[in-house]
Amino acid sequence: MSDMPPASSVKRWFVTTNHKDVGILYTATALFFLLFGGLLALLFRTQLWTSGQGILSANAYNQAVTAHGLMMVFWFLSPFAFGFANYVVPLQIGADDLAFPRLNAISYWLYLFSGILFAISFFQGGTFAGGWTMYAPLNIPAYTPSVGGSTAILALALFIVSVTVSSVNFLTTMHRMRAKGLTLWNLPLFTWSILLTVWMMLFAFAALLAALIILSADRLVGTQYFAYRIMESGAITMTNEAASLLWTHLFWFFGHPEVYIVFFPALGAMAEIFQTFTGRRIVGRKWFIIAMVLVAVQSFMVWMHHMFLTAINLQIKTLFMATTIGISLPFDLMVFALIYTCLKGDIRFKTPFLFAFGGLILFILGGVTGVFLGAVVLDYEFRGTYWVVAHFHYVMVGGVTGLVGALYYWFPKMTGKMYNEYLGKVHFGLYFVGFNLLYFPMFIAWETPRRVFEYPANLEVFHQLATIGGVLLGVSFLVMFYNLYRSLSVGEDATDQVWQYASSAEWAVSSPPPLENFTEGIPSYGEGTLEFLDEDPTVTAQGATDGGTPAVSGDGHGDAPALESGHDRHPSHASIWPFYLGLGMFLGFLGLSGLQDGSFAPGMEGGVYMAILAAGFAVTGWSLLRMGLEDFYVPEPSSFGEQWPFAGVENTKLGMWVFLASDVVLFGAFIGSYIFIRIANGWQDWHHLIPEAHVALPGLINTYLLLTSSFTVVLALVASERGSKWGTIGSLVTTFVLGIGFLINKGIEWLHLFHIESEQFAHGWGLSTNVASSTFYLTTGLHGLHVIAGLIVTLYLIWRAWNGAYTDDNSPIEYFGLYWHFVDIVWLFLFPLFYIL
Amino acid sequence: MSRLKLYSVIYVVLFVFATVQVLFEYGGYLDRMYWIAFAGIIVLSAVKAVLVAEYYMHLRWEPRSVSALMLIALTAVLGLTLAAGYSIT
Repeated sequence: MSDMPPASSVKRWFVTTNHKDVGILYTATALFFLLFGGLLALLFRTQLWTSGQGILSANAYNQAVTAHGLMMVFWFLSPFAFGFANYVVPLQIGADDLAFPRLNAISYWLYLFSGILFAISFFQGGTFAGGWTMYAPLNIPAYTPSVGGSTAILALALFIVSVTVSSVNFLTTMHRMRAKGLTLWNLPLFTWSILLTVWMMLFAFAALLAALIILSADRLVGTQYFAYRIMESGAITMTNEAASLLWTHLFWFFGHPEVYIVFFPALGAMAEIFQTFTGRRIVGRKWFIIAMVLVAVQSFMVWMHHMFLTAINLQIKTLFMATTIGISLPFDLMVFALIYTCLKGDIRFKTPFLFAFGGLILFILGGVTGVFLGAVVLDYEFRGTYWVVAHFHYVMVGGVTGLVGALYYWFPKMTGKMYNEYLGKVHFGLYFVGFNLLYFPMFIAWETPRRVFEYPANLEVFHQLATIGGVLLGVSFLVMFYNLYRSLSVGEDATDQVWQYASSAEWAVSSPPPLENFTEGIPSYGEGTLEFLDEDPTVTAQGATDGGTPAVSGDGHGDAPALESGHDRHPSHASIWPFYLGLGMFLGFLGLSGLQDGSFAPGMEGGVYMAILAAGFAVTGWSLLRMGLEDFYVPEPSSFGEQWPFAGVENTKLGMWVFLASDVVLFGAFIGSYIFIRIANGWQDWHHLIPEAHVALPGLINTYLLLTSSFTVVLALVASERGSKWGTIGSLVTTFVLGIGFLINKGIEWLHLFHIESEQFAHGWGLSTNVASSTFYLTTGLHGLHVIAGLIVTLYLIWRAWNGAYTDDNSPIEYFGLYWHFVDIVWLFLFPLFYIL
Repeated sequence: MSRLKLYSVIYVVLFVFATVQVLFEYGGYLDRMYWIAFAGIIVLSAVKAVLVAEYYMHLRWEPRSVSALMLIALTAVLGLTLAAGYSIT
C-alpha cells in the first residue's frame, strides 16, 4: 500500500510512515503520557499533604510513585524529544525522510502499544510497585507478586525494542543522508544532540534490555538470577549472592547515560533557541560540540556513583567519584557557552526563549546539587533522601522545560499556525513558579526518606508547599493545551521563516513542509549556504565527503548506492503493517505476562492468556510476512550528499551493522552477568553447581553445526554472485538443515539435563535448580531464539530464491549472512564459557 | 587464492580450533594448569571470532568505521564486565 490518505482522514494516521506524521504522533502520544504521569504525581502529592497514610493504601502509593517514574522517564520524556527529532532532523539534514520509513512507523506503534501495555498492568492485580529503579530483590515475585508487575516489566522491554529500532534508523539516516556540504561539524546543534543521543541509546538500552529479559525470566519461568525466597519461618534464602549488585550494575550502566539521553535533545533544542532569539551563533560552537561528544562518551564511565551505598569496594568508589567530577567539566563549558551567547546577543523574550532560558537556570541548579551526590562521603548522607528527588527533578524536568520551549519553537512549523504569545508567557510564568514551588522545598526537606509517605512533622509545611506547586505546575499545562488547541483552530497562519535569525533548513520550506520535504530541488550546502539544486547532481559529485572515505569504493564490497534505479518512482509513504506488527507484539507480550514459574494459571485465566499469546504470534508473523512481500519503495540516498564515516556502506547494510552493535551489548551483558555471578561465587567453586552429565560433547557438535552453517551461508552468497539459482537454494537449504540440527541437538541435551537423576540433583537440572543452571539455560536459550529467528528468515530466502530472486541482487543474502555469522560468533564464546571452563 | 578457497581454508581452521579447545579439557590441561588453559581457550575463541567477522562478514573489505562501531560496542561491554567484576569486595 503506498497511497497516502489526506491528513484529515483517520486512516492516514494508522498507515503513515512519513517522518513528519510520525513526529506528530510521537509528540501527541508523549503529551498524553505526560498527563497520565502527572495525574499519578498529583495523587501521591495529595497523599504527602500530611505525613502518614491518606487517600492511597501503602501498596497503591508505591504503585503510583513507581508508575509515575517509569511513565515520565520512558514514555514521556524521550518520546517527547523524539517527536521533534522525527519531525525536524530529516529536514535539518536535507533528507526526504528517515532511512527506513516503515521501521520508523514500527518504532512509534511499539512505543504506543508498550504504553498501553503498561496502563493495562494497573488492572492485573496492580502494576509494579518496587520503584522505577526496580532494584533486586524488590523486583521479583516474592516482593511484587502481581501479574501487573510482570506486565510493567514486559512493557518496558517492548518499549526498548521500539527504542532500538529507532536508534538503528536515526543513526543510518544521520550518517548516510546528509545534504552535500553538511559535514558533521556543520550539523545544526539540535541534530548533533540527537545524533549523540541515539548513539547513547543504542548501547545503553541494550544493557537494560538484557537486565529486563533476565528479570522477566526470573518472574515468568523461574530462573534464579535475582531470586530470594522467603521461607515460612520468615528467613530469606538466595541462590545468587550477588543478585542485588548485578541488577544495580546492569541498571545503572543504562541509567546514567539515560540522564543524558533525556537531557541532550533538550540541550540541543535550547542551543537552537538561544541562537535564534539572541540573533547570534552560539559562542564556542566547536567546543560546545566537543563537550557534548565528551559527555556522551563519559556517560558510560560514571554509573557506579549510583552505587556508593552498595557493597562495591572503596577503590572503585573513588575511581567513579573522579569520573563523575570529570563529566561535570564539559557541562560547565556548555553552560558558559549558552550564558555567554545571551550576553553577546540581543535577546528577544519570546515564549520559546523564556522556556529555554528557564530550562538552563533549572539545569544549573540541578547540576550543582548533583555534585554533592557524586562525592562518596556526602552521598552516604544524601542517598535515599529527598535531596536526590529534588536534584533529579531539577535536571530531568529542567530538560522538559527546554523541550516545552522546543514545542513552542517548532509548533508553527509543524502545524502552520502561530500560537498565542500572551498565553505562552502566562504558561511560562505559572510553570516556572509552580516548578520551583514544587521542587525547591524538597531541598530544604531533604531529610524526608525517599518513596515513603511518612516524614517528620516539622517538614510538613515544605511538603504542603510542594503539593501546591505541583497543582500550579499541572494548571500551567492546561494553559498550554488550551493555547495549542485554540491556535490550531483560530491561530494566525505561520510563515515559512517563522523566526528571524533561525537558519537551519526546516525554516527554508513551507509551514508545514510538503510531504517529501524539498520540492524546490535537492538541498545543498556545497557553496557554504543552503541552496536548492536541480535534480541528479550525482554525476559531478562523487567522492565529495567530509574527510572520510569517498562515496565509491572499488573493492566490490562497498558499492556506491544506486540513485538511478527507480529514479522516476516516488517514495512510498503508507503501510498498515507496522501498526499490525505493533498490535501483534503487544498481544504477544500481554499473553506472556500470564506466565508464572513456567506455566499459565489453571482454568479460564490461563486459557485467556494463552489465547492472547497465540493471537500475538499469529498477528506478528502475518504482519512480518506481509511487510516482507509489500511493494514499498524507498530510494537509496544519493552519493552526492555527505556520508562520512559510512560512505560505501548502503543503508540496509549499515542498519544491520548498527543493530548488531546493539546485539553485541545485549549478549555482552548476558555473558558479563554470567561472569560477574561466577566471580562472586568463586570462579572455580562453580563446578559443584553443575552435574557431571553436563559435558562438552553436545556443545562441540553444535559448534561444528553452526560453523558449517556459516560456511554454507557464504557458499549461498558466492552461488548467487555467480548467478547460480540452484547453488543458492542448495546452500540455503543446507544452512536451514544445519540450524535445525543445532536446535534438535540442543533440545536433546536440555531434555537430558532436565531429567538427570543424581545424588546432588535428585530432581534434575532445570531452569530453577540453581544460578548456574539459570545462566546456562537463559543465555544459551537467548542464543537459540536468535537461531530460530535466523531460520525463519532462511525459509523466506529459500522461498524467494526458488522464485528466481537473488541472481541479480544478492544483497539480502549478504545482510542475512551478517546476522547469521554474528549468531555464530556469539556461540564461539558461549561454547567454552558454558561447556569447557 | 580465490575467494571460495579462502572461505574454505578458514572453515577448516575454525573447525580445527574448536576441536583443540575441547582437547584442553579432554587432555586434562584444565585440571593441571587451569588459568593457562583458560587463556588458551579464550584466545582461540577470539581468533575464531575475528576470522568469522573479518572474512565471512566481510569486515576486512568494509570501511574501518564499521569495525570501529563493533569495537566500541565490545569495549562498552568489556568495560562493564571488568569494572563490575572488580567492584566485588
